Amino acid sequence: MNKRVSVRLPRSQTARFVLLCLLFTVLITGPSLLFVYNRTDALIHDRIVSRIDDRQRNLLFGYRTAGIQGLVGSIDNEVQTGVVEGGVILLTDASGKRMAGNVLSWPPTLREPTSWREMRLYTQGQRRPELYAVRVAHFRSGHWLLFGTNLEARERMREALAEALLAAFLMAIPAGLIAGLILHRYTDRRVRAIGEIAVRIAAGDVGVRLDTSGEGEAYNQLGGAINAMLARIEELVGGLRVVTDALAHDLRSPLMRIQVGLERAARECDDDSAREAFSSISKEIDGMMRMISATLEIGRTEAGIGRENFSDFQLGDLIKDLCEMYQPVIEESGFEIDAKQNGDLPFFGNRELIGQAVSNLIDNALKYGGCCRIEVGADASDSEFRLWVADNGPGIPENSRDDAMKKYGRLEQARTLEGSGLGLSLVRAVARLHGGDLSLENNHPGLRAVMRLPKRANALAANGNGS
Amino acid sequence: MSRKILVVEDDEATSDYIAKGLEENGYLVDRASDGRDGLFHATDGDYAAVVLDRMLPAMDGLAVLAAMRAASIETPVLILSALGSTDDRVKGLKAGSDDYLVKPFAFSELLARLDALQRRGSSVREPVVTSLTCGDLTMDLLTHRAERAGRRIELQPREFRLLECLLRHRDNVVTRTMMLEEVWDYHFDPGTNVIDVHISRLRKKIDERSDVPLVHTVRGVGYMLSETA
Repeated sequence: MNKRVSVRLPRSQTARFVLLCLLFTVLITGPSLLFVYNRTDALIHDRIVSRIDDRQRNLLFGYRTAGIQGLVGSIDNEVQTGVVEGGVILLTDASGKRMAGNVLSWPPTLREPTSWREMRLYTQGQRRPELYAVRVAHFRSGHWLLFGTNLEARERMREALAEALLAAFLMAIPAGLIAGLILHRYTDRRVRAIGEIAVRIAAGDVGVRLDTSGEGEAYNQLGGAINAMLARIEELVGGLRVVTDALAHDLRSPLMRIQVGLERAARECDDDSAREAFSSISKEIDGMMRMISATLEIGRTEAGIGRENFSDFQLGDLIKDLCEMYQPVIEESGFEIDAKQNGDLPFFGNRELIGQAVSNLIDNALKYGGCCRIEVGADASDSEFRLWVADNGPGIPENSRDDAMKKYGRLEQARTLEGSGLGLSLVRAVARLHGGDLSLENNHPGLRAVMRLPKRANALAANGNGS
Repeated sequence: MSRKILVVEDDEATSDYIAKGLEENGYLVDRASDGRDGLFHATDGDYAAVVLDRMLPAMDGLAVLAAMRAASIETPVLILSALGSTDDRVKGLKAGSDDYLVKPFAFSELLARLDALQRRGSSVREPVVTSLTCGDLTMDLLTHRAERAGRRIELQPREFRLLECLLRHRDNVVTRTMMLEEVWDYHFDPGTNVIDVHISRLRKKIDERSDVPLVHTVRGVGYMLSETA
């Protein structure tokens, strides 16, 4: 019925869901990784700045006590003792002539004091320029001081950090995809479970319950609500069972007594015409009993009672048996019967009720089918089993087909014939008990009554029974 | 063989009717009017069969049956029930009853079924039967051949089963519903005279060229295979 929805949507829904999950993962991990990078970088920067501040304090201590000469002394001292290792320092006079330090010449781009400047410099004994953070001070005497610290370590740190964070980001993508898939699987499973339960309920199996023990509050709530609903339905069905049982008992027992009385009276009576009367009363009671039985059977079947007696059987065998059973009667009535069943049609259902339903359809075809051929068959498509009985009679006009399947729904033209008007409604109730339905179709000419029984409902019933 | 039948039925009119009918047919009858009393009788006496109502005061019919089977009392039980739906019938048979009859029933139906129950009970001890006979009619169950006075009778598989059913109940009435159950394993009422037409075809094949008819119609009840009418 909802083939389009159930086949096409989930696939794109899965993709959409997973993509959404991925997007969320990227949106969350991206900024947070950037934040980590920035914070780490800022921390390193702060430490470098404070180191430069320390050096400035140390250097200026010499200048304050002994002027430029003191400064030169402390620089020389630093260079000689190796304190300057990993750093740069250079002092020039106003003309730019180098006075002390480990840098060979004043960088030409530095023309004014600055507290932070990153640049590549050559230091003594080094072949390649390295990156330094430098600070430049200009003294009132016209001297220039440049000092700073090596940033190569910071660069390597940055690279490593960026690499690590990128790796983390790349790992987040499959993680997001997997999380999306798992999450989707989980919700899908829960929703599917609810869907399957719904199919089984539709087939009248109200004894099933959803598992509400898993995680997921919303699902448990939904499951709980559905279970409560099912419990209520089960209660009503149970009530119906009690009522039909009581009704059957209360109607049958007095009828039994009437039959007993009739039989005794007939035995003790010598009058033939009275005996005739007794026998016709007895027949009427039989007819009434049949009607009551059929009504009760339909009521119970519609309520899904009768699922306890589901078993495995072959639909083909059933058709063959019933055709064999009816063949003499049908031939005697001047009809032909044609059994069409192909091979292996394993079915799980109530054999007795299905048999009775097909038998009702054959009976109808005999009564109303006109002439001369009745086709009885069973086959299966990918999605459903089909059982049909077709005749070449006058058929039923399309607008009165629904009426024909209603309880006591005898069509006007059929009123003159004997019958309870319950045959087709029992067939429909049986089809619905198995999750399917009865449809009346045009056989060109004649009527084709088809019981369509979905395989899905059948498999569910079989599984439900097995567990 | 004991000819004593226990009738457990709370409805007095029905109980009288059954008891009277059975006594007329040469049975001794014990009666119980509730489930507990019925179970007490069943565990005590040596009955040929028990007729057990499904809805009983004090103890439900199926509970009585379950208690009997639990105590390994294997007396054949026929359940009488006012519940006629197919699933009730299956439930009754599953619970261990040997037969199931829905009210209202004709006494002849009950009698035919009780007779059949006792035969079934006794035939269990007999060696496996490979051929059945009635007069000059013989049936070989292994080769699936039937002959009358040495002349082969061609039978459809179902006709063979039907004849086998009648032969197994030789000299006893077999009702239409019994045949439907034994030959086709269906319990519903097919409505039309399905069985009658089958029998009339079978009769033609068996009795056509013979002076002694073997297939007899028992009016209002069913059919019987017998040498004597």
